[in-house]
Amino acid sequence: MSAPIISLRHVGKSFKDGEVRALEDISFDVRPGEFVSLVGPSGCGKTTLLRIINGLIAPDEGEVHVMGAAPQPGPDLAMVFQSARLLPWLTVAGNIEFVLQLKGLPGSERPARARALLGAVGLREFAEAFPHELSGGMQQRVGLARALAVEPKVLLMDEPFAALDAMTREVLRKELLQLWSRRGIAVVFVTHDIDEAILLSQRVVLLRPRPGRIDEIVDVSFPEPRWQQDPRTSPAFVSMREHLWDRIHDMVRDGAELEELAGAFGNVDWSTATFHRSFL
Amino acid sequence: MIEERTEQPIVRHRPPAIAPVAVPMFARKGNTARRRRLENGAVFGVQIILALLLLAGMYALNAVGGNLVMPNPNDIVAESVLMWSDGTMLKGLGESLTVISLGFLLSASTGIFLGVLLGGFRVLGRVLDPFVNAMNSTPGAAFIPLIIVWFGLYTEAKVVVVWNAAFFPILINTTAGIANANKELVEMARAFGAKRATLFWRVMVPDALPSILSGLRIGAAICTVGTVIAELTMAQSGLGGLLAAAGNRFQMDRYFAVVIVLMALGTLITAMLRLAERRIGRWRVSLADGR
Ligand SMILES: Nc1ncnc2c1ncn2[C@@H]1O[C@H](COP(=O)(O)OP(=O)(O)OP(=O)(O)O)[C@@H](O)[C@H]1O
Ligand SMILES: [Mg+2]
Repeated sequence: MSAPIISLRHVGKSFKDGEVRALEDISFDVRPGEFVSLVGPSGCGKTTLLRIINGLIAPDEGEVHVMGAAPQPGPDLAMVFQSARLLPWLTVAGNIEFVLQLKGLPGSERPARARALLGAVGLREFAEAFPHELSGGMQQRVGLARALAVEPKVLLMDEPFAALDAMTREVLRKELLQLWSRRGIAVVFVTHDIDEAILLSQRVVLLRPRPGRIDEIVDVSFPEPRWQQDPRTSPAFVSMREHLWDRIHDMVRDGAELEELAGAFGNVDWSTATFHRSFL
Repeated sequence: MIEERTEQPIVRHRPPAIAPVAVPMFARKGNTARRRRLENGAVFGVQIILALLLLAGMYALNAVGGNLVMPNPNDIVAESVLMWSDGTMLKGLGESLTVISLGFLLSASTGIFLGVLLGGFRVLGRVLDPFVNAMNSTPGAAFIPLIIVWFGLYTEAKVVVVWNAAFFPILINTTAGIANANKELVEMARAFGAKRATLFWRVMVPDALPSILSGLRIGAAICTVGTVIAELTMAQSGLGGLLAAAGNRFQMDRYFAVVIVLMALGTLITAMLRLAERRIGRWRVSLADGR
């Protein structure tokens, strides 16, 4: 087994001077070329974890190593966001050339590279279009092409398909799997779609909320390539899916109980409560 | 397929009187275009009627109140022809345009430059915010006596008056545009390794461009107002000077001839800047359309 490309050890992060505990004691590794999904309920710190891996924010505790060093935003890491986040004043090709310039590619090579990448996501004819002239699914494809254009070693994806319709999502998942298997990039894929996580990834990291910590890490092994053979009907898929949903339902139940407890105790001012009681 | 085809002619042959009400949003293109033409025609027609009513009102006022209350529109036309042919109007327009354009260039360049600085360096923006606000809330006319003392009564002083009035809206719009640059786009560029300077010039400033342009549009309108005020209150010159001279001598036909030129000038300047705004900020307009 090769050395991990991403390694997290006891990572913790708080916001608002420690009031909001976003992440606690997160430890796992991602190997080169591996596809790992992060799943968990809303607010469990998935986006925060991606930002930490990208080097956009630093963790409060623990250690993060990406390719053996503290993470630095740059061309070895690329992010795909939930909304495409294209620069609206640049053309589609211009948007890709923008990140190629950040990578330091000479100007003469940028247009050809941008067009090649657009071809890879099936948008070659739209190179000169502006982002607002594209549909949401097409914009998301450009976002993916932009991330792949810098030839990253690690691709970070934050619910990239969540805002799309089911059909587009299905097509893009397939394309993503094909691009991934051809390039051997390590992918960290955030989703809160359990099926999607099992379908795409080799490992699923399940997080639980408040504070965000690892609940379970599940290995997924289906015959590759998966885009040819839909594993969703296989018994292994069904049982894995059931298992993960059980864990999440447990979490939600725990969360609900906690919420009730907080509601019962949180809003009572005890000094006045006892005062009232002594009067009664 | 076949059913659809048989239906098409029925829709197309609906009597036009019902069409605007009965045809739903997804009706054929031709109908929408026709409706838009109808609406354009109606708007233009009503505008013509309003203009005619206004003109009729001027004639009526002239008949009732005499030449001092409202000059006869015929006299205004005659006076306009005279002023344009003897060069008075052209000279005034030239003097006013000099002040307007110098003032605008000065306020635009200084306003954008400082606005970019204040928006880019957050702390500097916070430090200067109360001063900018205080200056911006003071009516520009309040500074005219001081400007007269410092700069005199002639063109350079007038340019300073105009600059003083137009500078702050341009500055404030530029600063706000940059300070409120889209956080998501900034994070995107940062994630791909953009450094501070790149982030600023390639993401934040372009994102602020529409806001800067609306600042310029507001600034240009203020420049016209400021120029006339300066010409009225300082050494009389330009269109403002003609206005004052005619008003003082109760030559109301002459006065109205100048007012019409001022109206046309202001409208033209605003229209030109709105066009520029629409062209450069095209993507933002499209976003506002809901896509
Ligand atoms: N910049 C910030 N300032 C304050 N609190 C933050 C900040 N970023 C995240 N948080 C908090 O940290 C927690 C985790 O947020 P995060 O966005 O990582 O969740 P998530 O798992 O991505 O949720 P979702 O599935 O809804 O996207 C939340 O409670 C959130 O309120
Ligand atoms: Mg998130």
